[in-house]
Amino acid sequence: MFDRRLFRAGGPVKPEEREWPSFRGAINEGMREEMRRDPGVFQMGEDIAHASPFGVTTGLAAEFGTERIRDTPCSEVAVVGAAVGAAIGGMRPIVEFQFGDFMSVAIDQLTHQAAMLRYLTGGQVKVPLVIRLPCGAGQGAGSQHSQSLYSWFAHVPGIKVALPSTSMDAKGLIKSAIRDDNPVLFFEHKALYRTRWPVEAQFRDPDFLIPFGRAAVRRSGDDVTVVATLTMVHHALAAAESLAAEGVSVEVIDPRTLVPLDMETIVGSVRKTGRLLVVDEAYLACGIQGEVIASVCESAFAALKTAPRRLGNPGVPVAFAPSLEDAVLPGRERIVTAIREMLSA
Amino acid sequence: MSKATADATMKLGLLRTMLLIRKLETAWGDAYLNEEIGGIPPSLSTGQEAVSAGACAALEHGDYVFTTHRGQAPQVARGLDPKRIMAELYCRRSGYNKGKSYHVTDAGRGVIGMGGIVAAQVPVAGGMALAQKLKGSDRVSLAFFGDGASNEGAVHETANLAAMWTLPLILLCENNGYCITMPVATGVKTASIADRAAGYGLPGATVDGNDPLAVREVVAAAVSRARSGGGATLIDAKTVRLGGHLCHDAQGYRAKEELAAAWQQCPIKRLRERLLAEALLTAGDYARLEAEIDGEVAAAVEFARRSPMPEAREAFEDLWA
Repeated sequence: MFDRRLFRAGGPVKPEEREWPSFRGAINEGMREEMRRDPGVFQMGEDIAHASPFGVTTGLAAEFGTERIRDTPCSEVAVVGAAVGAAIGGMRPIVEFQFGDFMSVAIDQLTHQAAMLRYLTGGQVKVPLVIRLPCGAGQGAGSQHSQSLYSWFAHVPGIKVALPSTSMDAKGLIKSAIRDDNPVLFFEHKALYRTRWPVEAQFRDPDFLIPFGRAAVRRSGDDVTVVATLTMVHHALAAAESLAAEGVSVEVIDPRTLVPLDMETIVGSVRKTGRLLVVDEAYLACGIQGEVIASVCESAFAALKTAPRRLGNPGVPVAFAPSLEDAVLPGRERIVTAIREMLSA
Repeated sequence: MSKATADATMKLGLLRTMLLIRKLETAWGDAYLNEEIGGIPPSLSTGQEAVSAGACAALEHGDYVFTTHRGQAPQVARGLDPKRIMAELYCRRSGYNKGKSYHVTDAGRGVIGMGGIVAAQVPVAGGMALAQKLKGSDRVSLAFFGDGASNEGAVHETANLAAMWTLPLILLCENNGYCITMPVATGVKTASIADRAAGYGLPGATVDGNDPLAVREVVAAAVSRARSGGGATLIDAKTVRLGGHLCHDAQGYRAKEELAAAWQQCPIKRLRERLLAEALLTAGDYARLEAEIDGEVAAAVEFARRSPMPEAREAFEDLWA
């Protein structure tokens, strides 16, 4: 069961939350700082200047104007292509799709052009661009607005993939993405947008960056390693809290980027716990869950006390009705059950 | 230099460019047919040389061109080194792309080789035009694409975006009459592909693509409009493909009479005859020009043959910036 209560959907901000940045506010702040720092950064997307769909770009057009915050027509191929060409031409474009699922419309421009042009030209060009992709289920957005398709893009060479799960990471990772000289897909789980978390002081530092390829250990534990991304980090932490009452110690690792993937931290954790569970909303077939498990098996098979497990969408579209959404999404209860089974195996 | 001398120099330059394209590509095609090189068969521009020669003559340093899978003609016309073009086509590490792609690129000269996916270069060319506009530069971006590509959504979306954003972009359709085997009249139901310009709110122009002087003039007008902030232009340069889609294509789908008539329209033949008639060229001059280019092409082939193949470790280089 996907527990919607873990995330803020709206309503008044609690007094203690007022000083905490929201997830979308953190992305906004990161982009604002980078646009102030580098005149080559500009943005393209549907309605981003005038009525930002999820509020992530709110206020940016007022500061930077509509030349740098450009509303686009519904032309995903031309817009991603424009980002590729502008990037080759020395700019640092950021593209927003209203729903990340729309990336499917322009896959050629991403996987064959953005991702391959540097290689094909023998290193003559670089393609620094960021495509922001609101993703994930749990809002009743329907099958074509609810997917988590990063496995498609982690599969092909040449694309970095970021998966922030907190405000702190959202800001640090978007800034690293904008400064990166390669194409970056930045997946933003829609359920996280309004949620607020306390942040460390360095959040306010305009040069605060979170490097790609460095996982965060969200909770230390000894009995089982849970690798989780996006909202599943929070579900896994909730599961770990429940299990702690039973004397089970769960380590929760958030990779933060899938490409590059910090296997060193994950493998190190599995060597300690001997058990691995990977949790993600992505479809299980050829998914990122299986990739992490395969990599661990290749390098630390002897450390495993039991077969690794994975949770994800078992392979049906995410339907409209909440009861049908819940049926296919992992969440705290399924994580708890899987861990109990692994410990008694 | 007097105007007449400049005019003669320009015309002779176009003839030279077209001959170099023809002979360099013929050598490439022969290398494939003689089984000296393998891989995907060469896509030659035989008969279409005037489009690239004329268009590139209208560009300046700092302008960009985005090429198609049939992209050697603009590479030559933009002044790339025939030796390094041929080395790439021979898969050698001394080639422009270090043997990594058939789509020769020289980023320093603004030639971006694309074309593995039909029409994909057109949106990217639009983005390069956007970059120039955002940087306040007066450089322009020119996208070559074929009549087959003209039916891709990528072209339609880019044309609309270029109109919306007044991009300094030239959308140049090198219409060679065939989308592999499909005649353009079957796949395009307007008399000219440029007729579609009205649907995007762009100016359109149709030009004899076998006349490099006419192409140069039409592209120069589009370039001038783009440089001065007037936005994009869609041009249909109607030319004729004399060879097959790829060099091993025997073209069984075209009538002998049609091909014979097409050869009468060969742009090199037409310009040579015109320059002879205008007394800007003699038969002796032409023979000397051919011999000079034959030497240049032979040197390019020799350079390619002598260049080393890439080493296995190079497969893992150049992916990330």
